[in-house]
Amino acid sequence: MKLNFIILSTFLFFISINLQSQDKIPNVTLKTLEGKSINSKSTFNKNGLTIYSFWATWCIPCINELDAINKDFDKWKSETNVKLVAVSTDDARTKRRVRPLVNGKKWKFEILTDENQDFMRALNINAMPHTIGSKGSKIIYRKIGYKPGEENDLYEIILKNSSKNN
Amino acid sequence: MKNIYKFFIIFFLLNSFNIKSQILKNLSSSFQSNSAYYLDDSKTGDFNFDNRFRSNNYLNLKTYSDKNWNFELQIESYSPKALLNYSPNFEEVGISTFNVQYNKKKLNIQLGNFYEQFGSGMILRSWEDKDLGINNSVRGMNAKYRINDKINITTIIGDQKKGFKYSKGYIIGFDSEFDASDILKSDSTFLLGLSYVGRNDNITKSESYKKMTNLFSGRIDYSSNSFYTNIELIHKTKDAIKIFGGLSNTFIKEGSALLYNAGIFKNGFGLDFTFRRLENMSVYSKRVAFGNLYNESIINYLPALTKQHDYSLTNLYVYAAQPNVSFQSKNLTKVGETGFQTDIYYFIKEDTFLGGEYGTNLAFNWSLWNNLDGEFDYFNQKYETDLFGFGKKYFSEISFEIRKKWSKKFDNILLFVNQFYNKKLIEETLGEIKSNILVLESTYKINQNKSLRLELQHLTTEDDTKNWSAIGLEYNISSAVSIYISDLYNYQNPDIVEKIHYYNLGGSYSKGINRYTINYGRQRGGLVCTGGICRYVPESTGFNFTITTSFF
Repeated sequence: MKLNFIILSTFLFFISINLQSQDKIPNVTLKTLEGKSINSKSTFNKNGLTIYSFWATWCIPCINELDAINKDFDKWKSETNVKLVAVSTDDARTKRRVRPLVNGKKWKFEILTDENQDFMRALNINAMPHTIGSKGSKIIYRKIGYKPGEENDLYEIILKNSSKNN
Repeated sequence: MKNIYKFFIIFFLLNSFNIKSQILKNLSSSFQSNSAYYLDDSKTGDFNFDNRFRSNNYLNLKTYSDKNWNFELQIESYSPKALLNYSPNFEEVGISTFNVQYNKKKLNIQLGNFYEQFGSGMILRSWEDKDLGINNSVRGMNAKYRINDKINITTIIGDQKKGFKYSKGYIIGFDSEFDASDILKSDSTFLLGLSYVGRNDNITKSESYKKMTNLFSGRIDYSSNSFYTNIELIHKTKDAIKIFGGLSNTFIKEGSALLYNAGIFKNGFGLDFTFRRLENMSVYSKRVAFGNLYNESIINYLPALTKQHDYSLTNLYVYAAQPNVSFQSKNLTKVGETGFQTDIYYFIKEDTFLGGEYGTNLAFNWSLWNNLDGEFDYFNQKYETDLFGFGKKYFSEISFEIRKKWSKKFDNILLFVNQFYNKKLIEETLGEIKSNILVLESTYKINQNKSLRLELQHLTTEDDTKNWSAIGLEYNISSAVSIYISDLYNYQNPDIVEKIHYYNLGGSYSKGINRYTINYGRQRGGLVCTGGICRYVPESTGFNFTITTSFF
């Protein structure tokens, strides 16, 4: 059965060297907190920067990251006009906590829900927290995980790509 | 081996296209690998299975272009064998997902494997959870149509995946959702939904019940600026009950589900209340799969509605939803569950006496789950239930959590949990456990990229195997590297042989979208739950490695 493993690895290797980037925000239906359907294509800043942060009410590092960003978000927004969309991937088990939690935390960004993880799947996301940055619909940045302080690195990236700086 | 040829063909097809073609230009892929090397351990026991080295690998390729056509392909390999606790139906290499999608304005058609959810998933949910070994996608056709941005219609038909195989019968479904907010003439949202799911099981044949079981559901969702409420009802037509390992020809009952939820939130205060009643509600693509260990062939999603915990000791006695009829003995008769959970959140503002400089977050949860009340006739296999009666208690939990940031460098989480777990009824064994759990988590930020996190936990109980303690320390060395060490210890276990330190140590390296982890340690055996779904795992000791990456 080692053969299978070798075949798979080779396959992966060839695919990876052949690949160019998937550089667009895919077309998937998300929901607002009220349950209305919204197409992912209408969620990004047409000409500016958008950060998508994938989180869940049970993911502590995700919440820590969003809390940390929230603290500086007014400054981020006024300096770079960046938009942040926090995509909750909570399913039926925990989705009812999303609205009270968001309200309690007073997050200043847009919250959308991806209950059966269609958007997450379309973007090939395997683990959370996962951050995606896009300029218009073009994906320019991706990162898995969050450790305290990393929000500053993210802001560096935003500053570097922000149109106000160019 | 057939599968290998299949994916070779696809691979060559992909490569034979002009590389600059649309497909490759928009191709995205991700790869995840979870491997383990199991060791013998004088405490947790020798490794008594084949293949000490085991590996699960997932490669996903998909296109997401602006064009009308897209596809997705996922290849999985379980080689030389799947990790412990994964279904034996995951064998060698195979194609687990293949689909082609067509999008045109308001129309979306998928052919092949698809994931879908109707309402809250109580009537239908197909999804993937690699950690739990769940991938119950449906293979067939999924067609969606949207009318005036107000009406969504979905129809599905197909057979269901189980490992690399498929169910013998088929599933058919219809879902509609209407946005009726306009009639309210305010900012509020008002949604209505109707669904139908039919399960045709071709394997079980009986004069006593039909191949087809039908489920009908209706739901209403209302939401305004600071209030929301919703209700969902399901009726399931007559279905055979599995008893003593076989399907009964005489014990045949209908099923039902009722879910009610409401909440208010305003100025840092949030309250949420959920009531759910389930009676004989599990649905599998084949009846005989009922209660299988690997959660295979599940059609609907019935998670436990309790607070989802993140700490090891709060996850020792975890409730699993009890949607089924189970007549084990005269004193162990279950027909479903009824109960509620309520959450209260409060944020104490910054610059107040209790809030301090950064404010304080408070969270309270109370959940209570019971058997249905009614008349149970064990010897004749009959029952009648009361609609709003509460039977014997399965589980209750009260938890209180405080999250407090003291300074730029230091914050704390304090959690107290009081639990009652009826092991006899839930696991169909013996015992009841009353416990109190205390957790203190502290994070200290050393500088921009370095931080330390310490977790201290204690569980106090007179029952089962008595008290436990746990400790964990994590050191984030840089934005890329993190290491940890933890221990879980049942220090009061009356059986000296069972007094085991479940230690673990490991680290992770992540850079951009690549993440690598390594872990060495002992896995506690028993019920392990994630996302409201639980499964039994045997004790083991060894090394674990994971790789997660995407090429985009």
